Amino acid sequence: MFGLPLAFSAPLVLGALIALPALWYLLRITPPRPKQIAFPPLRLILDLEPKDQQPARTPWWLLALRLLLAALIILAMAGPIWNPPPRGQAGSGPLVVILDNGWPAALDWDKRVAAANDAIASAAREGRTSAVVATSEGARDVLPADPSRLTERLRALKPLPHTPDRKSTLAPISKFVAANPGADILWISDGVDQGDARAFAEGLIAAAGEKSSVRMLTGARTPVAITSVENAPAALDARLVRAGSAGAESGVLRAYDLKGLSIGEARFAFAGKNEITARLDLPTELRNEIARLEIESERTAGAVALLDSRWKRRRVAIVSGVTADLAQPLLSPSYYVARALAPFAEVREPRAGTRDPIIAALDEQPSLIVLTDVGVISGLARDRLTRFIEEGGVLLRFAGTRLASGAADDLTPVRLRRGGRVLGGSLSWETPRKLAPFDRTSPFSGIDISEEVSVTRQVLAEPEAGLVTKTWAALDDGTPLITADRRGKGLIALVHVTADTTWSNLPLSGLFVNMLRRMVALAGETTEGATTGTSNTPGASRAETIAPTRTLDGFGILGEPPVTAKPIPVNFGGPSNPDHPPGFYGPPDAMVAINTLAPDAKLNVPNFDGLKLDMQALRPAEPIDMRPSLIALAFILFLADALATLWLGGVGRRGKTSATPARAATASALVAGLILVLAAHNAPALAQSAAPASPALNQKMLDAALKTRLAYVVTGDSQIDEASRLGLTTLSRALGQRTALSPAEPMGVDPARDELAFFPVIYWPIAANQPLPAQATATRISEFMKNGGTVIFDTRDALTQRAGGPPTPETAWLRRLLAGVDVPELEPIPRDHVVTKTFYLLENIVGRTTVGQTWIEAMPASVEDAAQRPARAGDSVSPIIITSNDLASAWASDRSGQPLYPLQPGTGRQREMAIRGGVNIVMYALTGNYKADQVHVRDLLDRLGL
Amino acid sequence: MAEARLLAADESAIAGTHRQGALELARRLPSLVVAAKEVAATVMHGVHGRRRAGVGETFWQFRPFMWGESTTKIDWRRSARDDRIYVREREWEAAHTVWIWMDRSPSMAYVSTLALQSKVDRALTLGLAAADLLVRGGERVGAPGLTRPIAARNIVDRLAESLIEEAGRRDHTPAELPPPDALAPRTQIVILSDMLNAPDDIRATIHSIASRGAIGHVVMISDPIEDTFPFMGHTEFLDVDSAARLRLGEAQSFKADYIRRLAAHRDAVREACASRGWSFALHRTDRPASEALLALRMRLEGPQGGTA
Repeated sequence: MFGLPLAFSAPLVLGALIALPALWYLLRITPPRPKQIAFPPLRLILDLEPKDQQPARTPWWLLALRLLLAALIILAMAGPIWNPPPRGQAGSGPLVVILDNGWPAALDWDKRVAAANDAIASAAREGRTSAVVATSEGARDVLPADPSRLTERLRALKPLPHTPDRKSTLAPISKFVAANPGADILWISDGVDQGDARAFAEGLIAAAGEKSSVRMLTGARTPVAITSVENAPAALDARLVRAGSAGAESGVLRAYDLKGLSIGEARFAFAGKNEITARLDLPTELRNEIARLEIESERTAGAVALLDSRWKRRRVAIVSGVTADLAQPLLSPSYYVARALAPFAEVREPRAGTRDPIIAALDEQPSLIVLTDVGVISGLARDRLTRFIEEGGVLLRFAGTRLASGAADDLTPVRLRRGGRVLGGSLSWETPRKLAPFDRTSPFSGIDISEEVSVTRQVLAEPEAGLVTKTWAALDDGTPLITADRRGKGLIALVHVTADTTWSNLPLSGLFVNMLRRMVALAGETTEGATTGTSNTPGASRAETIAPTRTLDGFGILGEPPVTAKPIPVNFGGPSNPDHPPGFYGPPDAMVAINTLAPDAKLNVPNFDGLKLDMQALRPAEPIDMRPSLIALAFILFLADALATLWLGGVGRRGKTSATPARAATASALVAGLILVLAAHNAPALAQSAAPASPALNQKMLDAALKTRLAYVVTGDSQIDEASRLGLTTLSRALGQRTALSPAEPMGVDPARDELAFFPVIYWPIAANQPLPAQATATRISEFMKNGGTVIFDTRDALTQRAGGPPTPETAWLRRLLAGVDVPELEPIPRDHVVTKTFYLLENIVGRTTVGQTWIEAMPASVEDAAQRPARAGDSVSPIIITSNDLASAWASDRSGQPLYPLQPGTGRQREMAIRGGVNIVMYALTGNYKADQVHVRDLLDRLGL
Repeated sequence: MAEARLLAADESAIAGTHRQGALELARRLPSLVVAAKEVAATVMHGVHGRRRAGVGETFWQFRPFMWGESTTKIDWRRSARDDRIYVREREWEAAHTVWIWMDRSPSMAYVSTLALQSKVDRALTLGLAAADLLVRGGERVGAPGLTRPIAARNIVDRLAESLIEEAGRRDHTPAELPPPDALAPRTQIVILSDMLNAPDDIRATIHSIASRGAIGHVVMISDPIEDTFPFMGHTEFLDVDSAARLRLGEAQSFKADYIRRLAAHRDAVREACASRGWSFALHRTDRPASEALLALRMRLEGPQGGTA
């Protein structure tokens, strides 16, 4: 009706619309109630005769509202139906319904089946028989059947995950139409050219001839599909195609992992083009988890892409030549490399103690091997490594003292000069060198270099022909910093500085991470080439074919493979076909993904120009009875009319005090209700958008980090905490007066919550009456100690300790605490320990008491020249000092320097000695074994002849 | 269009705000001193001496003791100075009386959005403020039908209490005009009301009050909406004192008639006042109360006692 998909079931009722003008007249002369006003001087004019008794007219808008209301009710009574069912084809013979059931038809499958059902039903009403042909059936004879059986058959039909060849069905259809003159053909097309749409249409028209008609129904929408996916270094790129502008203009690409959990999503918009790349910008770990990409709102097999291990991240093995203990991770060269690689690659490090770490690393089948300061590689390791590189692996080496001094092996891109050079050392005039910008040909080009990076020492390449082409990065004086060379299918790259911070601060910069990211991307390129060339897929030698595990149906849903699915050959490259439906093939740990479309597939709109084809749109929607909505609308208008009448009558104007709050309350209740409803809809979205906040730097952490300061553990016992605070304050003041260190105010910390890494020394008085910290706290303390911090545990029980007696409560408490901490071997401070020499020369550490023993990490057994050395020190600072002398109480003094706690025994210069002990401990924690070295100064001066 | 409404019963009741407002208003004006009308014995007003011996506080003269007088009147201190016996006489002092009528009828409990205060609030504020001023000036103030003339300093509280007490009475219907009893000569009466009664009633009341020579000051309080009649369209007017109502199709067409009627009514009231030598003033509730109080004070102080 009027070009709209609208029909009336009782059109005669519309005649009542003629009565509307009469209604208008009636409504116009019935006025609303007057407003009432109290008026004290009314007596003055009561006797006046009203001059104009003509009542006020109904306002026009109220009139319009009421007329609309009446019109709506009349319209509703006429029974309007939106999208009325179409009329059938006007033929006389049987009806052949051809149903496209490739994956593009999955888009509106229900509507297609409903359209087929409608056509069959209307044909049956006219006494005609029907037949159904699905294009995937191939050359099967067309047999008419009764409508109920056809409906069942239609219900059993499902779209298939490939595009069937339509033309194979042409022959039986032609035969059928020839046998039944006057037969009509209805082709419910999927609107995609795949499967020779035009040729098929021409064939249908030819088969129909003059007597029969061919009608084609197409959906309003054409599909969007994913053809290929690439895990690029920065993001996951998916190529999306669509068939003409009838496909979705924009949408959401969603990524799922193997369990079907959503990982991420990306919006895409075709913007007029038919082929775009959607970019899924996710961290590499997440990208590697992706097993399935799906275009939301497109429920077809073509809109699903399956990903297997070919799209996974690269594996990197790190082998360190340094046999240093890993207890101090910041000194390990592989630490920085592993941390930098971890975000985008799977890092493997051979376990410590492996006999040949390089072979162990190669057994991990990495695509990139990082060797940090490994000297000469020889023997089997060298052979294996060479083969690895020849086959496409990438070797990344870092220089170091071993490489600088070692004899050359051939696993470096350039020949190296022995020794290297030192820039900006104490015996050199040169200053540390900065990086030069990357050359355009370098794989690193495009990365911004950091001004802060400087190199103090490096190994040098022998000048030789082709050195410039092998240079990927250079210093600002042109010295190569990173060189690389191709070997076979693989690559060797050498960074001319160490992977730790001893030679340069490159490993601390973001540049390092970016360069390693490029290196890993390079490794991916070479190994992929290698795998396709040699086909060393695991299990390839054992099985010739791979059986389907889970396959997609036409709607793009993973399920059990159909019985017709056949295993794929190992080197099956192409897209799916009827025998090999898309899906995952092979065992779960080595699945191969087969996708619906070839990587370069295109979707086209069929061209039916000049064909005698009755083209109609697939009915877009079910018929909608508009009566309920019209009546609901009329009811709302009725309510509005009632409110307007009340308002005109002056309700709410009089009795201001009582009515207004009530009205306001009603209005606010309504608004609140609306908001509640809206909020209920939006609540999940809100909950999703609230991402977990990262732990922010708080003010306390900033304070702790920006100034060096001492710290004490807040025990919860206020007396002890006060003594600790005052003691450390006095000690800080003494340090500021006597030494080069001027610490800021000490800070109380809670080891369970506060970050401890900022403090060189933490003083921990033991309060036995407080609960033990949790195990997690012990782990944090352990970590703090491992990373170079020093904890002074003070049991304050020197006077209650009894040799051979049971442990005091404080000692027992400390033992339980340290049960979860990795404590080194301890010894009482020996006379020659460096802690007794760091600032003052002391005999022992005293506090409020002097009798207690102070324990410190045991030093290695004294070396042969022990007799000559006045001080000994290990390689590092003792992470733990345990005393029982109550140091803080001895240090503590008030603002004017008056001591606060009595000492025991309090003779001589005990308080001064206590402060000196504190100064020594702090200087020991900050300077380490430096004082142990300085004691050689006399020998040095002797040697220099001074 | 301006909106108007009647006050609820609890709103129009006298409350602390009236007392406070009245006191604040009164404190802003200097003490009201009513000028002496006559220098001689016919002084109208109290603390001004009557220039002759009588009941009072101030010393007037010593006179010789006369035979037959009570001996308690002898001023022994003076008598001890010579042989004669003296009596101390004081000057005769008499306070002047002012009656104040505050209309609290339903028609007064009316306020529009244009006004600062309802009419009854304004009448109470003005009346109590005037009472306070007068008492501070030494006069006696009373409310007709409520209290006898009082000269207490807490006159505002006293009047307010009696107003509350009257309003609390069960069978009480507030009158619009003061009771028509003749007042003593040379007393004054202040009538604060909207004066919307029939002009004949008003004239009769004024005449009977003034029949013995009392002087009056009428302040006619009106709401601005009553002066301007800003109504439009289909409106139904309700009277407040009676059940009368008037429905008008086009209220604006009545404006001219109404204003003419109102002017005639006011002229009638003014004429009734003038005929007895009373003063008449108009006061609108959109004007500040102090303005009306100042005008009232001028009249009360006036040389003629207010035939201005």
